[in-house]
Amino acid sequence: MKFNKHLIRKEILSEYRNNSSLFLITPTMCVLIIVFPILAENRFAIDEDLFIITQILFLILFSTLFSIRNPINHRSLTRELNFAYIKKSEYFLGKISSEFLIYFPQILLFSILFSVVTNSNVKTNIFTFILTLVFFSVNTVMVNIIFQMFTSFNNRFVQFILIVPIYMALSFFIAPIWLGVNLELINIYLLLYLGITIVIYSYTRFYLERGKL
Amino acid sequence: MNNIFFQTENLTLGYGNEIVIKDLDLSLQKNKNYEVIGKNGSGKTTLLNLLSNNFEGNTFDSDISREATNILEISHIPTLLENLTLIENVIYFTSSMNIDDEKVNSTIKKYGMLSFKNDTIKNFSSGMIKRTELAIADIKEPDVLCIDEPLNYLDKQGIDRLQNLINERTDNNKSNILSSQETSGLLKNKETVDLNEI
Repeated sequence: MKFNKHLIRKEILSEYRNNSSLFLITPTMCVLIIVFPILAENRFAIDEDLFIITQILFLILFSTLFSIRNPINHRSLTRELNFAYIKKSEYFLGKISSEFLIYFPQILLFSILFSVVTNSNVKTNIFTFILTLVFFSVNTVMVNIIFQMFTSFNNRFVQFILIVPIYMALSFFIAPIWLGVNLELINIYLLLYLGITIVIYSYTRFYLERGKL
Repeated sequence: MNNIFFQTENLTLGYGNEIVIKDLDLSLQKNKNYEVIGKNGSGKTTLLNLLSNNFEGNTFDSDISREATNILEISHIPTLLENLTLIENVIYFTSSMNIDDEKVNSTIKKYGMLSFKNDTIKNFSSGMIKRTELAIADIKEPDVLCIDEPLNYLDKQGIDRLQNLINERTDNNKSNILSSQETSGLLKNKETVDLNEI
């Protein structure tokens, strides 16, 4: 497994200079969550029953906007990787890492901000909360890259329609944890999430290596 | 011959059901120069894309045998990343090899691009992009270098640099494959693949 730091650096620099996520999607989402409690309940607080579902909905919306911000062009990608002598399996690992580095701090900040402006909190400890966000981020990033590498979308709307149900499924694992189930169930859900992450990553790596892409 | 890196008989290429090249027999060796000539739409770019693994069309199950080799293509479409600077592009595209900074700087200087090394590619002209891609090819020294429409966008100085690169590569027994509508005059000892004849 080759870890190409230049690939990660290139992705982060491109993201920083492209400005589509850091300077457009994230501020927009932050404004949305600030106005949301005011619109919903005319105060900086929302009902406890509504908190988790709305946080997850905003999380899915944020992840989807992040995913469709900069679609991969197959032809350009192939040309770029051949020009750089980088295999697709190497690119896959590098892209996951760079996307995670860009996405995770934003989603963490976003979740904290959501708790602050809605005056509510998840019913689990900080370690489990961060761990669930790590799993959610890694999986959403991975699913998005897989979708873009193996399928050709005609437009972002099609991508949006296909990817949202998968993000919903991925969020089902974190909802019970945030709602405050007991420790044994938390461990089971986290292990399930870990298993899913390993299966998705391994299968994709195997597929890319087998095809010598 | 052991030096053959690409061989095919009755090669048919196209996009969807539309055929661009039909029944082409081709055998290419690593230490030889080739010039692909043909009129517009004859399939020059398609053939170069296939040779350099950039082809994303239909091969109609043609029998193609190729040896793993370092192939680099400089296409008429820029490959450089427009949000990165020249030096960042060079570092990224040569990241698979251990190349020292001195070689990078001297090569960029050789192609007259040293003063632009911290400028982003999106502000570059087509000629400057082509010079940068030639500099990267010079640094990477691939076994086979494919250049689509080699003279496009280059000024007199750029053409001289390209000619030097091709001569150096030929002296080092490396293969160059150029494609243009008519013979470019850049290659001395060459074999011609005339796509007008098929």
